[in-house]
Amino acid sequence: MLAAMGMSSIEDLFEDIPAEVRMTGDLPLPPPQSEEEILADARRLLGANVAMGERVSFLGAGLYRNYVPAAVFQLVTRGEFLTAYTPYQPEVSQGMLQAMWEFQTLISELVGLPVANLSLYDGSTAAAEALTCAVRVHNRKATEKDTVYVSELTPPDRLSVMHNYCQGAEINIKFLRHHADGTLDLESVSEAAGSCGIYIEQPNPLGILDGGLSQLKDIIGEHTALIVAVQPVSLGLVEAPGQYGADIVVGEGQPLGSPVTGGGPIYGIFACTKAYLRLMPGRIVGRSIDVDGKVAYCLTLSTREQHIRRHRATSNICTNETLIALMGAMHMALLGPEGLHTLAVRNMTACLLAKQKLGEIKNIVLPHSSNHHFNEFVIELPGSSEDCLSHLDSVGIIGGFDLSAWYPERKNWLLATFTDQTSEKQIELLAAHLAVWASSQEVNA
Amino acid sequence: MSHLFEHNGAVGQGYSQPAPVLPASSIALPESLARKNLPRWPRLSEPEMVRHYTWMSKRNFGIDTGFYPLGSCTMKHNPRVNEVIAQIPGIADIHPHQPEHHIQGLLAIFHEMQYMLEVCSGMDQVTLQPVAGAQGEFTAVRCVQEYFRLRGETQRTKVIVPDSAHGTNPASAAMCGFEIVEIPSREDGRIDLDALRAVADETTAVMMITNPNTLGLFEADIVEASAIVHDVGGQMYYDGANFNAILGITSPGLMGFDAVHFNLHKTFSQPHGGGGPGSGPIGVKSHLAEFLPGPLVKNRPPVGDESQMAIDDMWYGWYQPTHSIGKVQQWHGNAGAVIRCWAYYRRYGRGLRTMSEHAVLNANYLRHAIHKAAKEAGVDSLVKDGAEAKVAKHEFTLSLQPAKEMHGISAMDVAKGLLDKGYMAPTVYFPLVVPECMMVEPTETESKDTLDTFAIHFAEVLQVDAETLHAAPITTPVRRVDEVYAARNLCLRHEYDDE
Repeated sequence: MLAAMGMSSIEDLFEDIPAEVRMTGDLPLPPPQSEEEILADARRLLGANVAMGERVSFLGAGLYRNYVPAAVFQLVTRGEFLTAYTPYQPEVSQGMLQAMWEFQTLISELVGLPVANLSLYDGSTAAAEALTCAVRVHNRKATEKDTVYVSELTPPDRLSVMHNYCQGAEINIKFLRHHADGTLDLESVSEAAGSCGIYIEQPNPLGILDGGLSQLKDIIGEHTALIVAVQPVSLGLVEAPGQYGADIVVGEGQPLGSPVTGGGPIYGIFACTKAYLRLMPGRIVGRSIDVDGKVAYCLTLSTREQHIRRHRATSNICTNETLIALMGAMHMALLGPEGLHTLAVRNMTACLLAKQKLGEIKNIVLPHSSNHHFNEFVIELPGSSEDCLSHLDSVGIIGGFDLSAWYPERKNWLLATFTDQTSEKQIELLAAHLAVWASSQEVNA
Repeated sequence: MSHLFEHNGAVGQGYSQPAPVLPASSIALPESLARKNLPRWPRLSEPEMVRHYTWMSKRNFGIDTGFYPLGSCTMKHNPRVNEVIAQIPGIADIHPHQPEHHIQGLLAIFHEMQYMLEVCSGMDQVTLQPVAGAQGEFTAVRCVQEYFRLRGETQRTKVIVPDSAHGTNPASAAMCGFEIVEIPSREDGRIDLDALRAVADETTAVMMITNPNTLGLFEADIVEASAIVHDVGGQMYYDGANFNAILGITSPGLMGFDAVHFNLHKTFSQPHGGGGPGSGPIGVKSHLAEFLPGPLVKNRPPVGDESQMAIDDMWYGWYQPTHSIGKVQQWHGNAGAVIRCWAYYRRYGRGLRTMSEHAVLNANYLRHAIHKAAKEAGVDSLVKDGAEAKVAKHEFTLSLQPAKEMHGISAMDVAKGLLDKGYMAPTVYFPLVVPECMMVEPTETESKDTLDTFAIHFAEVLQVDAETLHAAPITTPVRRVDEVYAARNLCLRHEYDDE
């Protein structure tokens, strides 16, 4: 090949790189490996990890260990899907474009809003982009300009992403208060009327389903965006936010279609009303026609995006999570409406049964037990969560999430999670070990 | 032509589920919470669902289908062992909140990836958290922003980008709140140092640039450009979109950069079907390291019981940088993508330079082969290099301006003609500085035969008359799609007839 170009050495191809910036010597890295050696090393290293499935796990707190049907993995690894990129040439990308148009429809139906994009990075970036989108749409008429309100329960890591995305546009993030029982304080919502938007989660970060959300749109009015983050599986039982006036719905799409995978790649859901369409982030597929009048799909509304609008774009997002969204679409297609309902029932009843069993343990309090919960609830322990989790770990149980990581003053709050993968036996096992540990705390005290 | 929502069979659920642990009737949600109508999703059996997605996959073009020379996107082969590795429960079934002693192997791989990217880029500290190239840009510019805030240099409100930059560069800097100053490129597509000198001043925060640039040319003046920006106290940011050209040959650190992002999904082959997922780690010099999003991975010798679980006699743990900007993704980034990219890098190890050499060899050879084939077919007058250069790097640009002037054949026409030949078309109309631009990037994973055949087919397309090419493609699942119709008649979801 070099000879064909009249060159004698590979070095000739790099003659344009000045000597002063050339690397000298080998990279200080291990020698090349064969496929078999890499696989063996991967199995050794990843095998040293404790996968949740090897233990009994009650860890959730935003990501949920649900079952993903086998067909999803088989189909998503078809090379035509797996190895494609952004469908810049729609004539040869109809499969992915149509699958994403269908994904938009599935999400739209799920959350009760007319528009959905084909994914953002995760739930936190979807939430953050929703806040900046709300300001773009409402700032002109807002009486409290450049301001959004978010639930005070929002996990700090999610809030941190929001701060990073909002600070450039000089958006103030203020907080909505919650009552001691975990439900939203509607009076604090009244104070947010006049701002650009409010952000609230259903179920909330403590697993609480809050009936008060159905009143929020009436309180804040049409010039303040109601942004609701959802656990998508819950929507097989819980009202679609679009039905109670949500303007934007976001969420961690992961429970539909994706393993937890250390927190990524997963996908963020973003759906909205038509009023937000031209100022929303992310890619959107539209149905069109080809020159013969045949139905054909293509990316549309690209003039919002960075490759056209550059620094005036609604977001910098380019590469997104389409392939994972495709897994979500496949899971939804397999579930159907009744399957979604069943899946939601399995998740919610596991949580309900756990509430009953753990609520009977002496020395343990469920501070928000008057509420309905989805997936998870808070357990107030007679000692520190850290200590409790360490004890449970020693008997092969991943006991949940230590809430002092979110709320430093809550040293004794444990968030335990129950999904469709949780069995009655596992709940009984947790209850038994918690009871033993709780009684030991009494002795220690 | 069918779509998902035409399926509403009585068969229903595509997979069976176990019974819930309590009857559904035990859930008594009040009116204010209960869903009234289930989503109008289709009802498919598993075989119906499998056929639907298989049918759609056959209407899609991936690297597995054929040559995919999409410039700027580095569409290299995705080795299948990487997919096998990503399904190992030790990554697929890991929760980011698991304690350190549960994830020693994962942290060891993260640490190795941080280190590998540090030595390849000449940076002092890498974070793997950003999940895409654009997010990496955003993250790095945020770090620089906080660095200047801490130093009290709040007058630095401007970010300089060349007019040939990827659109994400100005978009990311604008999201951080910076004013964008765009500088023109020289006639030959390279950076104009005089234009840079004219705008660089005490208000400059960052200059963002990629090298090789978007024309596939190495910016030989990069060290001087860095000096100009550093002289006014600004920071240099390296857009790693084109890293595939320089691994083991040069590094952003040697060129004078302070921060860099990597597109792992391009350079190290994470499959990004349909537009993602990606992974966009960033590396920075030591003065910016304490601003990175946390947590980062560090290691030390194990203490006490740790030695039983230690990996190769090292213990791995998280730590938070002192002035961290916080998080840009809630978890630990796209860990699954990082694992796949680790597997890709391991096949080269210290020989990563070979990867870039082959990528550059393939690009230059393809450029040569296209010109040669065009000449032999007597159509060399229709196409010229997008930029004059003796050698290109990992990609190159062509201009179809002569074809446009002589026959009314546009770059888009040639792109559509290539689709009919069974190829993914190169990137068209980017960068904007080249008229009727076509940007070609073959990557290192293509054979000489593939490149030779593509060159001949390219020349064949140039021989086709304008009228025929305007009608191309004709062999694809649909023909030219009306994008204006799509924008004017917005149909963004399936609408049911009863609405």
